[in-house]
Amino acid sequence: MDSEAVKSLPSLFRWLTLAALADWLITRTLTRSAIFVPKSPPVITAYEALGLIGQWAFTLTSLLALVAVGWMAFRLLRARRGIVLPITLLGLLALSLLFVVIPPGGWLAVDYHLLVIAAAGLIGWGMWTRAGGGGRKIAWVFPALALLAGEALQLNQALFGAMRWPGPPPGAMTLFNLGELFAVLSMVGLWWAYCWHPGQDGIRPYVLAALPALAFSAAHLINPAMTGIVAIWSTGLTLYLPWPVYAVSLWLAGVVVFASLRRGDAVGWAVLLLAAGGYAPQLSTQVFLILIALWLLSEEEGAPGLGYDIAVWAIGNRASSL
Amino acid sequence: MSKRHLLLPGLLLMLAAVLTFLKVPLASSQGLTLVAAEVSGELPMTDPEAAVWQEATAIEAPLSAQNVARPMILNTQVRSVTARALHNGSQIALLVEWADDTQSDEMVRVQDFRDAVAVQFPLAEGQPFFCMGQPGGNVNIWHWKADWQADIAARRDVNTAYANMYVDQYPFVGIGEALLASPADYTDPNYLPALASGNLFASATYASPVEDLIAGGFGSLTSQPVAGQNVQGYGVWSDGRWRVIFSRDLKSQDADDVNLSTGKVYSLAFAAWDGANGERNGQKSTSQWVSLQLEGMIPTGPAPQPAQRAAAPLDWLGMAFVFGPMALVALLALGLVGGAVALSIWTRKQ
Repeated sequence: MDSEAVKSLPSLFRWLTLAALADWLITRTLTRSAIFVPKSPPVITAYEALGLIGQWAFTLTSLLALVAVGWMAFRLLRARRGIVLPITLLGLLALSLLFVVIPPGGWLAVDYHLLVIAAAGLIGWGMWTRAGGGGRKIAWVFPALALLAGEALQLNQALFGAMRWPGPPPGAMTLFNLGELFAVLSMVGLWWAYCWHPGQDGIRPYVLAALPALAFSAAHLINPAMTGIVAIWSTGLTLYLPWPVYAVSLWLAGVVVFASLRRGDAVGWAVLLLAAGGYAPQLSTQVFLILIALWLLSEEEGAPGLGYDIAVWAIGNRASSL
Repeated sequence: MSKRHLLLPGLLLMLAAVLTFLKVPLASSQGLTLVAAEVSGELPMTDPEAAVWQEATAIEAPLSAQNVARPMILNTQVRSVTARALHNGSQIALLVEWADDTQSDEMVRVQDFRDAVAVQFPLAEGQPFFCMGQPGGNVNIWHWKADWQADIAARRDVNTAYANMYVDQYPFVGIGEALLASPADYTDPNYLPALASGNLFASATYASPVEDLIAGGFGSLTSQPVAGQNVQGYGVWSDGRWRVIFSRDLKSQDADDVNLSTGKVYSLAFAAWDGANGERNGQKSTSQWVSLQLEGMIPTGPAPQPAQRAAAPLDWLGMAFVFGPMALVALLALGLVGGAVALSIWTRKQ
């Protein structure tokens, strides 16, 4: 999605990305360090304030994710490019809100996970049937496979429950580990698809992105157990692979984000949403973040297709941000 | 950016603040859920091989080493537990299984440590810290101990490990020279202060291999009084695998006990110890919170055979207290979606 098309996107997506980042970094990462801080009253007050901000960010993220998915469904219907994906997205919206009231279980839970898998598949189908770079299509596959692995795991469990099979579902850990491998390879693939041309983006993104990667490496070398705990809370990754793999993946993810922000395309937003969504997402909001990220990635630069038509329509009608 | 363009973001920020203050959730959890299948008749409280356990779908909960409070062992042995649950409307039974190559069920020598497993329930709403709770977020813990299980069959003491031990004298004992005095031999039970004060560890016999405890953070673990020990258990080790059953009434009069009801969702966490690895106290493997859901009760057949389980009717009365306000919020959220779309169309037409 080129910079003009990006500008045509409602600022909703920018707000969503910022809120998701705040939720991820505050609620799921920083507040986990509370066990190490002194328990003096000022520190406790500051921590509680931080927790409140994180809760607000989470609520805002949930709200904006719901609106964004609804917006995507509406625009797809207006573009008259198929009805299955919009209906799938609306179905996901409805079920996620229903599960706030009724505990997810039985066949409803199975339906939910099938809808998530279907949404990811339909977004990918739309992308693969369009002309465009094969490299970017392949790179898109890795984050999609990571989502599908996590959903397959939960679908398996829900299916066993709905079918009253004794279980436990076989191959759970294998599937989980495979999905984590795809999640790690996602950033490598995205870097290869969008940033690998020498001199394309200069050296600055590489230098900037090295900072979080070096911080992770240092944390792991100093306290590997605690780094693993924070990683699983924050991202859902168990760090079962050799730690340099994660450091390199984090570095390349940073490169993609910084280069994308500099170029003005949507890939960086998508990477940030993927990071905020995490691996094997437990909450419906996190699933929506990943689906939105996959949809943003599926919009290829200059390629005629669903997203491009929407962008042209929006620009042609002097689309303004929400 | 014009004021008009800031209107909707501002409204959304305010709405998010209001929803946060009211603690209204907009996201549903799809995490690991243990569904307690409802069956009729007696639950298999001492038979992990009972066919009725196959009526419950098992979950595999991953465990990781406790690495928050020292002392800690980072390379704990138990990596996951498999759990199933049954209930019959009045009682609940949990079957927890895990792999352990060694059967460590004797704690006579100071260098020996027991195999054990525990399940933990939050006592208040929400999920306190998954490892022993937190101040203001107490947890109810059911702790099964392998040595207590073995001692129920035959109590072991120092003479079990050291067959050639000899005691010169037991003071306050009203019998002659004895190899090993029993509590009944003492002239006054107060000469055994631990036993007299109700310390379960000093008990000569165990009514249950499960200790019922409460905790509110590290270092606060407290055993409930003897009269409040109402959790039954049974564990057996075979072919490198422990299988332990926890059972209790769904309802309890104790304020420090979790109360369970059908149709609701609770949180549950597991912990396990491998005694052969020196794991004890905080040096253990723990899981994150998983959900426990009790199916609604429908009377089925008279015997706990592989019964036909039908879908339970929804608890409409209970749901009415929840559905009303939540439905309003859900409608509000959907209304926002529609409003955002409408606003987008309107601004584009301007």
